[in-house]
Parts: sequence; C-alpha cells; structure tokens
Amino acid sequence: MAKKNKEVTRRQFIRFGAMTAIGIGAIGAGAGYLSTKDTTNGENMLRPPGAIANDDFMYACIKCGLCVQICPIDAVKLADFTQGLSYGTPYLDVREQACDFSCGAMQCVETCPTAALDFIQFKVKGEEAITKYEQEHPNDHDFNIIAVQLPAMHAHTKMGVAVLNTDTCLAAKGKGLKGAPRDESCKGVYASPEDVKKGLSPYPVHEHIFDRPICNICVTDCPIGETAIIFENNLPKVLDGCTGCGVCTMICPTEGPSITIKKV
Amino acid sequence: MPNVKEGLTFKQWKAKHAPTHKWRNKRWAVLILLNTLFWASFFFDISVLEGSLSGSRFFGIYLMDIFNSLQQILIGIRTGHFAMLTMNFFIGLGVIITFYFLVGGRTFCSWICPYHFLAENAEKLHNWLVKKKKIKEHNYAIGVKYIAFVMFLLLALLTKQLVFEDMNPVGIISRSIIYGPSVLLLWVLALLLFEIFHTKRFWCRYVCPMGVAYSAVGTITPTSVKFDLDKCGHCRDCQDVCLVPHELWFVKRGEATKEVHFTGADCTRCGLCVDTCYGGALKITVKGVEKLL
Repeated sequence: MAKKNKEVTRRQFIRFGAMTAIGIGAIGAGAGYLSTKDTTNGENMLRPPGAIANDDFMYACIKCGLCVQICPIDAVKLADFTQGLSYGTPYLDVREQACDFSCGAMQCVETCPTAALDFIQFKVKGEEAITKYEQEHPNDHDFNIIAVQLPAMHAHTKMGVAVLNTDTCLAAKGKGLKGAPRDESCKGVYASPEDVKKGLSPYPVHEHIFDRPICNICVTDCPIGETAIIFENNLPKVLDGCTGCGVCTMICPTEGPSITIKKV
Repeated sequence: MPNVKEGLTFKQWKAKHAPTHKWRNKRWAVLILLNTLFWASFFFDISVLEGSLSGSRFFGIYLMDIFNSLQQILIGIRTGHFAMLTMNFFIGLGVIITFYFLVGGRTFCSWICPYHFLAENAEKLHNWLVKKKKIKEHNYAIGVKYIAFVMFLLLALLTKQLVFEDMNPVGIISRSIIYGPSVLLLWVLALLLFEIFHTKRFWCRYVCPMGVAYSAVGTITPTSVKFDLDKCGHCRDCQDVCLVPHELWFVKRGEATKEVHFTGADCTRCGLCVDTCYGGALKITVKGVEKLL
C-alpha cells in the first residue's frame, strides 16, 4: 500500500535487480537453447517457401502468423513448444496439407514483414522469366504475364526434396490406383495442373478420383511438372526441379507415404 | 481541503463521490474488442486485423511491435539481415510509434495487452490475500525493468535469437487466442500464480521490456493524466489502485510543487485513479484538446 513508507534501499535494488537479471539469463538461455532444437528430423515438417537459413530464420521470424492467415488452403501452421521446431514459428505438415502454389504469387512469402520468408528472390525470378520470354518471343505483345511469371516463381521454391521409397511404392510393385488416393481422414485440398487448366480451385484430396493401371499420380499431379518428377522405367523419378512442396506426399495412396519430403 | 469546501467530513465526502468504473469499462471494452478482432480475422478469414500482437496488418496497414522490432533491428545489424527487412516492416514500426506517441506510450499496456488484463484481475486476488493476512506484500524498485530491458537485448544480440519472444506472455496469450492454445500457457499461469502469491504485478512492473519500449515513446505525448492540486484530499487511494504508483508522487501532502501536474512515461493511462478519485482531481487529458474529453 502506498501509504506505508516503503523506501527501497540501494541494497534491495541491487539484490532484486541481480536476481531478475540472473533469472532472465537462465530462463532466456534455456528457452533459446531449446528453441534451436529441430527435433522433427525434417520428416515432412517443412518451413514455408522462401524461408531463409534456419539460424537466421530463428530471429527473423517474429511469430506474427501473417503467413498462416494469408495461405488460402491453410497449409501453414504455427508450431507449439512441444513440436521441437521452435515455438510460434510457421511450418507445413505436407502429409496433411501440402503447398500446391494455388495462392498464385507466393503470398505467404510476400506478406512476411521481416523477410524471414524472403520474397525478393521470387520477385527477381519472376521478372527474369518475363524478360526472357520477351526476348524469345519479340512479336508476342499480348502474352499472359502471369502465366510466364508464376511458374518461374514456384519453380524457385526449395522447401525440401522428394525421396521415393521403392519398397512400398505401388508403381514399383506394378499396382494401379482406382478411386480416391486417400480417405476423408485427410483434410487436405489441392488442384492438380489439369484442374488449374480447367480453372478449378483446390478441392479435397478424397474427391480426386483416379483410374490408373499403374499408379503414377505423384508424377501427373505435381504442380511443377516434368522438371521436378517424371515416370521412368515404371517408377517415379525425382529430378533437380523438385521444390519439396509435398503434394506427392499428401496424395500418395500408401499408408505411410511412399514418397516423402526431406528438408534441405 | 475539498471536503471542507463542500461542508462535509472527509468520510462523508468520500461516500458522496463514490468511485466509478467509467474508464475501466471503456478500457476493457477496447481491449476485449481488439483481441476478439484478431481472433475473428483468422477464424472468419477476413482482412480486418490479421496477424498477432507481435506483428499485424489492419486493413492492409502493417503494424509492428516496438520491442520486437528493436530486437530485430539489433540482430539484423549484427548479421546483415537488416538489409533484407521489408518496407512493410518499417512502415509498421513507424505507424505504431506515431500512434502511441499520440495516445500515450504505455497506453498499450492497459488498453491492448491481454496479459495486463489477466494480471490486473489476478491482482485483485493478491490484494484480497494480503487483506486477509494470508501473504505478505512484496514491493521492489521499479528501475529493475531497465535491467531486464538491457538483459533481453543483450541476450538477443549474443544468441541471435528472439529469446524474449520465447517467454513473452503477451505473445503467448495473443497467439493462443488466435491460433490455438500452446503448452506455454502453463508458463503464463505460473507467472500469474507468482503475482498472486508473492510479488504484486511482477511482470508488468519489474520485467516487461515491451513496457519500457512503449514508455520511451510515451515520454513526449500529449495524452496523460492531469492532476489538479486544489481538488485533492490527499487520501492516496489513487496510488493504491495504480500499477505504477510512483507516477502519482504529487498526491502526497506537501509533495506537489505546482497547482497542476501530469503523469509521466510509466503511466498506462488506465484511468483507475481517475475512476477512484473522490475529488475529481485526476482526469485523462489530451493537451491541447482538453475540452473534448
């Protein structure tokens, strides 16, 4: 109560100040150490596109969640302390919901205020693609800029790289796929390149119906296309153009997906 | 003395001008509305107030928390990442600094901060326990928060991590409201329990560097609490409800040096003293537009 004479002595100030400083130092160092522990082994827990190197991402990300909010398919989520990925930072669990680039111009990257997701690199790639197209097609004055720019931006993503497990892959066993690749327990959505051509928006995985004599949906439904993954010798083959977006992981019909994303 | 002017005893005068909750209710309404708006913008996917208290966007205008940005800038200068900070970052910081310069710096604390809201209600429990003599009152030097402020910045620079944000109850609560509960809410609970059973308003008074950052902005602001000496009965009940009672130093008999005083940078403009004052000696004012309020 203010009325009582509570003059704080210099000794009390130093003592309480020192205790607070030590307390903060201890808790802070502990929290800081724990948050560097990425214990996910990168198993399908990926950073959003454009994420800078993890050491820098740790401080650049202010955990505002703007990337979470802007993603139209709710692919980005914020990690909790127990997920071993640094509390409050964004990640994608691509087996649940992959990034299919349906937002268009890398909206999560563009919205990040502190450039923890760095947009400049994508902007540059997009502009380079437009310049290149203009040089190669000097007489095409009405070309669709978006159709040239966006694929170049998407292709520049490097969230990880897809890795095939030939032991469980249906194609490796010569098996086909009839029906939906996953059931309703998977809440993910996506639009395949063919869907996009038809002007469709992303829709649930369990509503994508296939009828393939040999399963090859990871190849046909890859948002990047043949620079990322092709079908060779009756097997999917991952190429350098793979962005690690995770659509293949999300739609793979086998129980533990036969194609997974490894962080790079 | 004001009660003499009204021909009443001190007790009668206090009873006649009983405390109200006018400012507290306005303040809680704004606080709850704003945090609800954050939640609603995510839940209903509308572009009203996106993000969280660390960084957000209000109808497209970026808003950046001051202390968070300070850590960002310091680490960024050390690592070179500073060059990559976006225009939106600086716009957001500028908007917040300008806004809080106008409305009073630490106004953030009592009008926006969700932890303050929880802590001020936890304080009621603490006061009740003290009254029942179940626990002892513990008060410390308010300057400790400057040590904490420097400590957090040093830790950020040394570890190249936003160490403060990993334990900042404001961010934890804000994110939990919007994106879902975190296990770190247990840490927030531990803080609140400490404030109930031991040190009154421990976080807000002695630790929070966000408060220090906002108070720096609030050193020059037209919005503060105005004190009229001739209306004061020197009962000091205002200091009892104040988060930062040292800001009301002039209410002690003999201390005031002028007829009119204004509260300083630590004042959160919460209005509890205004609501409590029996003589109407305290008013929230904006210098220059006093008639409007």
